[in-house]
Amino acid sequence: MAAVIEVQGLVKSFGRTRALDGLDLEVAPGEVHGFLGPNGSGKSTTIRVLLGLLRADAGRTRLLGGDPWRDAVALHRRLAHVPGDVVLWPNLTGGEVIDLLGRLRGGADRRRVDELLERFDLDPRKKARTYSKGNRQKVALVAALASDAELLVLDEPTSGLDPIMEATFQSCVREVRAEGRTVLLSSHVLAEAEALCDRVSLIRRGRTVQTGSLAELRRLTRTSVTAETDRPVPGLADVPGVHGVRRTGGRVSFDVDSTHLDDALRPLVDAGLRSLTSAPPTLEELFLRQYGDELAAAGDLERLP
Amino acid sequence: MTPRRDVAGTGVLLRFAVRRDRVRLPVWVLAGSALMWAQSTSNQSFYRTPAALAAYRASAGSNAASIAFSGPPVGLGTVAGTVAFEISGVLAVLAALMATSTVVRHTRADEEAGRTELLRAGRLGRHAPLLAATGVSAAACALLGAGIAAAAALSGLPGHGAVVLGAATASAGLVWTGATAVCAQLAGGARSVYGLVGGLLGVAFVVRALGDVTGDGASWASPLGWAQATHPWSDDRWWPLLLPLAAAALSLAGARALLDRRDLGAGFLQPRPGPATASRALGSPLGLAWRLQRGALLAWAVGVALLGLVYGGLAESVRTLLADNPDAQVFFRGSSTAELVDSYLGVTVRIAALLVTAYAVSATCRARTEEAAGRAEPLLAAAVGRARWLGSHLVVALGGATALLVLDGLATGASRAVATGRAGEVGRLTGAALGYVPAVWVAAGFAAALVGAVPAAAVPAAWTAFGGLLVVTLFADGFGWPAWVGDLSPLLRTPTVPAQAWSAAPLLALAAVAAGFLAVAFAAVRRRDVAAG
Repeated sequence: MAAVIEVQGLVKSFGRTRALDGLDLEVAPGEVHGFLGPNGSGKSTTIRVLLGLLRADAGRTRLLGGDPWRDAVALHRRLAHVPGDVVLWPNLTGGEVIDLLGRLRGGADRRRVDELLERFDLDPRKKARTYSKGNRQKVALVAALASDAELLVLDEPTSGLDPIMEATFQSCVREVRAEGRTVLLSSHVLAEAEALCDRVSLIRRGRTVQTGSLAELRRLTRTSVTAETDRPVPGLADVPGVHGVRRTGGRVSFDVDSTHLDDALRPLVDAGLRSLTSAPPTLEELFLRQYGDELAAAGDLERLP
Repeated sequence: MTPRRDVAGTGVLLRFAVRRDRVRLPVWVLAGSALMWAQSTSNQSFYRTPAALAAYRASAGSNAASIAFSGPPVGLGTVAGTVAFEISGVLAVLAALMATSTVVRHTRADEEAGRTELLRAGRLGRHAPLLAATGVSAAACALLGAGIAAAAALSGLPGHGAVVLGAATASAGLVWTGATAVCAQLAGGARSVYGLVGGLLGVAFVVRALGDVTGDGASWASPLGWAQATHPWSDDRWWPLLLPLAAAALSLAGARALLDRRDLGAGFLQPRPGPATASRALGSPLGLAWRLQRGALLAWAVGVALLGLVYGGLAESVRTLLADNPDAQVFFRGSSTAELVDSYLGVTVRIAALLVTAYAVSATCRARTEEAAGRAEPLLAAAVGRARWLGSHLVVALGGATALLVLDGLATGASRAVATGRAGEVGRLTGAALGYVPAVWVAAGFAAALVGAVPAAAVPAAWTAFGGLLVVTLFADGFGWPAWVGDLSPLLRTPTVPAQAWSAAPLLALAAVAAGFLAVAFAAVRRRDVAAG
């Protein structure tokens, strides 16, 4: 089946700033695709090109088999969008905005809207100017989730939601996936991406640096291992792919490239293995490895979620 | 005594407010001074002779419509007195609008945007934002008063009266500074503050108008009446200014007391919940554009209708006035009295068309302000094309402008019909007003082309162009500028029916220009990025 989103070598500049510098992205039908990267890496710009709001300078962009710039209106009937910064009309109520956006997309199911209002605990009778950031986001989420769009484009949709609403959001996305629909989810909340995404693309400075399933990405990185053995393990640090060996009493901890796990475990077994814990890298560790140098350089390491 | 902690940081905020308003407030002051200058110079050339003055006194001074519009008919024995009669009410309203927008901008608008919270988390007293807002507004009122006094004196009017008028205008600004400060504590949000103050201003205007027409002293109940009670250039009274000063001081104290009893971002009047679902009409970009703009259009409609009624009502006094004033006869170009009245009516319809042009430009620019605020994006990300989105706002702008022109013609015609007993006046003047539709559409089309082609600069550029149009339309004839300057104004290219005969050629040419601008607008908006900010 053809990809829902196909982006190759996308370039977009604003004046002298090159926001997108040859970005690639491929989203398959029915998957929840995580679109991850630090602030300013080009996530929202990519999404706005995909929505036909910005015109690409170069590269190939296909969305639901069409050209997002030329066929914008026809394509938008088949997708729903939640922007990163939800701006609403201050003198309309939340309910009015949800209905308006639904109608512009070709009509929304009243029952589904009511159910979502209940699940997200949103009062639709309040004027938009009185909503907090989280509530404005809920308005956009209810409008998008109530649609029967084939593709949901969600740009950091939960940055203002509390943990309970975050859980509600996650269960809604799982329902969407169960119906066979496709989701592009841009996020900084790595736990959310880890919980929801089938595949992720990591981007940095307008380029895709890695893409694949979480399992594939993990294979490219290190697993941390802690083991207790009867005897000291000699020469562990010399095993290829093993890094940062630390010993405390009878325990030894180290990181190992996932491709060399086999080699690293053999000396442990020979030394009389008594207990073993191994943790696959979390997405957060993947993220830090990918961006750590850049963030450390910017002194931003501690600001990561 | 207020504890010091409540006012901490007022000085810093005041300097900050001045910096934020460094362009805005001088524009208000310059506009007020320019208005004063224009009124003074035109009256001095109009009523040069004692006969002209006497005719003016006899007509305007006894005409209820002009008294209701302007104020008490005192001091009409001198040219300076006619200037005070015609301009003092307008200046008081101008000062009120400046004060209201300044106070709201630095109080509730900042609260709503979350900026006050950011500041209040610092070492800033609870009263500091209100004191800074009223402080900068009071300073602006003083500057406006000084500008008006200077413009009046420099244009050749007696100095003492000029200072009295300037002080009276400043005092009117102070009253509305205080009134806005109180309303800013009561209302649920910034827009409702404007609503409350606007309502008060309307009541004050009506009370003053009734009081001045009947002469029963009711004007003393209206803050707008206090400024005019100084009678600049006739009695030059200072003591009525004690009333606005006392009112301003009392209302500021009241506002501070109320401020201690409300939460940040909330008022005493809680916003009522609205509908949980959208009405049938709110289902398209056009429905949304109408919903967003209908309030402003309604306000314009009330203003244009009132203006038409007043202008139409003044036509009878113009008949007597013009008959004795050769200067005015030159200005209005006519030989018989009937022709002069028609010429006068033609000029008033043109002035109304100028105002309607301002509406059309602002309604067209709404498309860009929506886009800049990021509110075009949710529509364009749904199944709405660029052209349909821009078109929705243009339908409101062009349709609204057409409706306003019809309304002006109907109102002017209706009051003429009542005065003359000729029902045909309604149709004649509505036709005259409709003649300006192509010209107004040209201006709106130009603004739309700017929104399409140069979005970031569109709003300032459109208003600059409107400023140019205003100057050319009002002054090209009177100042004897070369003909091509006047030809730049689409309004001057429209025949001034009923004084001139209908002719289709200029209207068709204007319609073609308007269509050209709209074509540019739609072509350009399809080709560019959608840009917030």
